[in-house]
Amino acid sequence: MALPASIRSSVTPPELELIASEQLVDIIPLIAMDKTAFISGAYGPLRPPAKSRVPLWMATNLKLKKKCHIVPPDWLCVEFLQDRLMRETSQAEFCELPFRFAEVAKVLLDVASDDMQNPDKIRSLLKDLREARQAKSREGLQKLDHSELSLPNFCSLEINEIRPFFVRAMGVLTQVSRTTQE
Amino acid sequence: MDEDYYSIDSILAENQKIQCTFKVDIPEMGHLDGGMERDIKALSKMQIPLWMAYILIYSDYADFTIPPPFNARVRNALNAEARSVRLSGLVGQGGSWYGFGKIIMQLLDDIPATEMSNILTKTFRDRLLEVIDQAQHFAALGSGGGVRSTADVTQMFREGLDSTERELFILAQESAKRTKKWYETSERGRR
Repeated sequence: MALPASIRSSVTPPELELIASEQLVDIIPLIAMDKTAFISGAYGPLRPPAKSRVPLWMATNLKLKKKCHIVPPDWLCVEFLQDRLMRETSQAEFCELPFRFAEVAKVLLDVASDDMQNPDKIRSLLKDLREARQAKSREGLQKLDHSELSLPNFCSLEINEIRPFFVRAMGVLTQVSRTTQE
Repeated sequence: MDEDYYSIDSILAENQKIQCTFKVDIPEMGHLDGGMERDIKALSKMQIPLWMAYILIYSDYADFTIPPPFNARVRNALNAEARSVRLSGLVGQGGSWYGFGKIIMQLLDDIPATEMSNILTKTFRDRLLEVIDQAQHFAALGSGGGVRSTADVTQMFREGLDSTERELFILAQESAKRTKKWYETSERGRR
């Protein structure tokens, strides 16, 4: 047990953010660059003002040096999120969202909020979505049993948040139930 | 909780005594009860540590009675409202009510064992939501401790958590704190 307790139970949100940084986003470069090989693959060439698809980490890096504009993904806009929030609050299931939407949205809102229309509205919609979904995962907790749990369309950050205690709780239920023994 | 020989939780859960009734005379063992008697007489009742009780019960030297944390009165209370029972009070501070219950369950035969399992499972489920709710609530207050509103039902509930639930509480709280911190901090400077 050499790992600190905080990272023994699951990965941390910053680690998830790192994983999400490999996802591709569209940028409009402001500088020209030849096709360049990185460990994760070759990206480019950048030819302003043509759009280019690069990983999130590269986009944020360029963005912070003011060398590109980031084109937000289709789902990161007021209309889409409003629609999802409506569905989220009206139906019992989780509605479909990109698996790592929370991480990507946070990074983009962090560095490229000036490339979006109405970032404040997007922020508050994301927050509402998160709360609506949390309320549902709380209901999932009530239905918990020792063998399985199915939460379709649950996203990576949300899974990560509930993982430590859901796993432990299921472990306890396994211990105290008789059906699994012998 | 698990049966691992090296599991500290399991050792701690065994740190309980149960009442046994001896079926046979056992000479020279009267000191177990701390009494003056030299021998243990058949039909005498004695509080035996759980770890010793196993062997006595399995070898048919003694019978045991369901210990007080699981008696009818507690069961009724749990049925009425599981969240208002103070489990920690039943097994002593730091004790594991579920762990104890599980050991008792293994000592029992089929039907009472199933009954026991049902009680444990139902109690755990009934209380789980409240445990997690409170853990997340406390994580949201921040590490500064926030305003402590004492003398209320929630505080009573927290004090009544047994060690298993306490562990869950901490897990949930830590996890909610980590996520909250991530949402609130910006790594912008590091990029």
